[in-house]
Amino acid sequence: MEFSTTKKDGALVVAVEGRMDAITTTEFDAQSQTWLADGEKKVIADLSGLEYISSAGLRSILAAAKQLKGSGGQLVFCGLSGMVEEVFNVSGFAAMFTIHKTLDDALAG
Amino acid sequence: MKSLGIAAKLALFILSCVFVIVLAIVIYNYAYSREIILKQAEENSRLLALETTSRIDAVLSSVQKMANNIAFSLEDATLTREEILDLDRRVLANNPEIYGMAIAFEPYFLEKDKLFFAPYHYRSAGRIAFTMLGGPRYRYFYMDWYQIPKELGHSIWTEPYNDEGGGGVLMTTYAVPFYRTVDGRKVFAGVVTADVSLEWLKEMLQDIRIYRTGYAFLLSRHGTFVAHPDRNLVMNQTIFSLAEEVKSPALWRIGRNMLDGKSAFVELDNTVSEDERYLFYTGLEYGGWSLGVIFPKSEMLADVTRLSNVMSLIGLFGFALLALLIVTISRRITRPLSRLSKAALEIADGNLDLVLPETRCDDEVGRLTKSFRTMKFSLKEYIDNLTSTTAAKERIESELRIARDIQMGILPKLFPAFPDRTEFEIFASIEPAKEVGGDLYDFFFVDETHFCFLVGDVSGKGVPAAFFMAVTKTLLKVVSERGLNPGEVLSKVNSDLAAENESCMFVTLFLAIIDIETGDVQYANAGHNPPVYMPCGGAPEWIPPLGEPVAGIMDGMQYTTKSMKMNPGDIIFIYSDGVTEAMNPDKELYSDERLMRFMSDARGPFAPKLVKDLDASIKAFARGAEQSDDITMLAMQFMGKCKK
Repeated sequence: MEFSTTKKDGALVVAVEGRMDAITTTEFDAQSQTWLADGEKKVIADLSGLEYISSAGLRSILAAAKQLKGSGGQLVFCGLSGMVEEVFNVSGFAAMFTIHKTLDDALAG
Repeated sequence: MKSLGIAAKLALFILSCVFVIVLAIVIYNYAYSREIILKQAEENSRLLALETTSRIDAVLSSVQKMANNIAFSLEDATLTREEILDLDRRVLANNPEIYGMAIAFEPYFLEKDKLFFAPYHYRSAGRIAFTMLGGPRYRYFYMDWYQIPKELGHSIWTEPYNDEGGGGVLMTTYAVPFYRTVDGRKVFAGVVTADVSLEWLKEMLQDIRIYRTGYAFLLSRHGTFVAHPDRNLVMNQTIFSLAEEVKSPALWRIGRNMLDGKSAFVELDNTVSEDERYLFYTGLEYGGWSLGVIFPKSEMLADVTRLSNVMSLIGLFGFALLALLIVTISRRITRPLSRLSKAALEIADGNLDLVLPETRCDDEVGRLTKSFRTMKFSLKEYIDNLTSTTAAKERIESELRIARDIQMGILPKLFPAFPDRTEFEIFASIEPAKEVGGDLYDFFFVDETHFCFLVGDVSGKGVPAAFFMAVTKTLLKVVSERGLNPGEVLSKVNSDLAAENESCMFVTLFLAIIDIETGDVQYANAGHNPPVYMPCGGAPEWIPPLGEPVAGIMDGMQYTTKSMKMNPGDIIFIYSDGVTEAMNPDKELYSDERLMRFMSDARGPFAPKLVKDLDASIKAFARGAEQSDDITMLAMQFMGKCKK
């Protein structure tokens, strides 16, 4: 799994690529801790490059979102496709989070 | 060679070198000294021979001069008989080297009436004796000593001879013709002879001792041995007869050269004598004689040989000393090494408490030992660490295993679960992943006619997931038995789970309750993969997801209850994502498509067989790859009034 973070219009865009499973989620957890420490308010997770997400990955995202919410922030998603989109739909995450089609939509929203 | 120790190798190489060097020195020394000795010997022999020949020549030349003077005086015709006798006697008296002297006249020359006139003075018993030579039995004119000078017209030295009259001593005679003028013509008048005893010559040559057995010898004009330590040769053999006897053409050639008066230093092979020898020969000035000096090679080279022997001995001694030194030194070097290697073996066998040999010095070996000691300590520390870590890890693993066993133990495993029930058939299986996971399934009657069955998947892995799973399962059972519909059950369970869930664990759940008399099914889905509905004889289809979230995170969430109808023979197949996400070594997933294809291909399915066949299909797909997730499957087949 690889991350690339960029600042865009006051939001932190985190592009996640590869697989997000029980082993690699620890990296995501570490990343999310840095956002919190930096006091980010709006974090956009661009999952267009994500191939696979396991239930452990979902848990990580969930934990990050909860913590961000606790500090008055928000985690939104964009670029979901294929298996990842399916998992979001099936697990009900699609209902729980704000999901945009594209990154531009997310920045605008 | 390869198996030899360093000490042996070192010793072998150095000693071979030293051996070659010593050998080279000894050989060179021998060859060089031999050459020097030979040169010296040649020089010495030349000097010796020259000295000897000059001494001999001195004697012979004085004799010759004397005789020549007498011959010259005798040309005076006025000399009387008495004067001649007196002359003869006086010469003898004044010249000790002359053994005898005769003045022999031609017949009837001095006194017309006397056929013989040859006064002869000679030494006898320390006095000078006198006799007149000549008589009917000794007609001296026909003797060689008279005839040859007369015919040749010049003086000669006769071949040496044994003089019977003179006491058997070895003699040689110098004979000089003399002449007188008669009627204005020079006519032969007679011969003056001077006899020289060769005894002094023999003695002189005998005194020449060269080394132990070396000697000198003298050859006459014709090659006869005049003086030689071997008495049998003297006057009996010539050098040529000797050469014939020993069949040595080389000796014959040497004889020729000697008689030609040449000088040379030659080596004699052992055909001439038993041992090899060197010979120096040179001609004398008078008499046509030749002197030979023999050097026994072995004696001559005895010093060289002794020197070489001593050198060899010293070399050998040094060699032995060096060998001892090398062996000692290399032992001292290699002993710690071999001790260290033995210690290394013991350490390799696991004895890390071994005390390493002490090092006294700070050389390479000492440093090696120190490094080795450091290595041993590090190794010990590392192994101690590893041991405790491993022990801890094993303890944890064993605890995890037990937790796993307990976790698996709470799932119903006995099939057929309800052998006396003909209305339905249920079968479930769970293939645990290596790591503790959080899959669960359950089925139970909530009342006489309602049967509840469910599958869930707790997020994440390990002990937290296992705990969460156990809690979820217990809650589900307790809540379900209150007679609530599936949506209400999930809502209640969700609330209970979410109440104290700081870790954000969650669980996906599919729960259904079937009326086993009618086949009416109510179900709810909390974010679980869509199960498969297989109508009897029809095409399988997904039970569409409701898009409701996973349980355990959102307190107060309400789940919807959906209804469907099962006809006899229909199957509802519920599974965890371990099925569709089973992975083969090429990192390919089993996928929804494969699952649906398998379901479509299943002919006249029967719940237990369906699960087992699908399990086999997944295993065949995975080709032995280790799975990261639990693989959980549950098939519920409604039979209704059908026979099983």
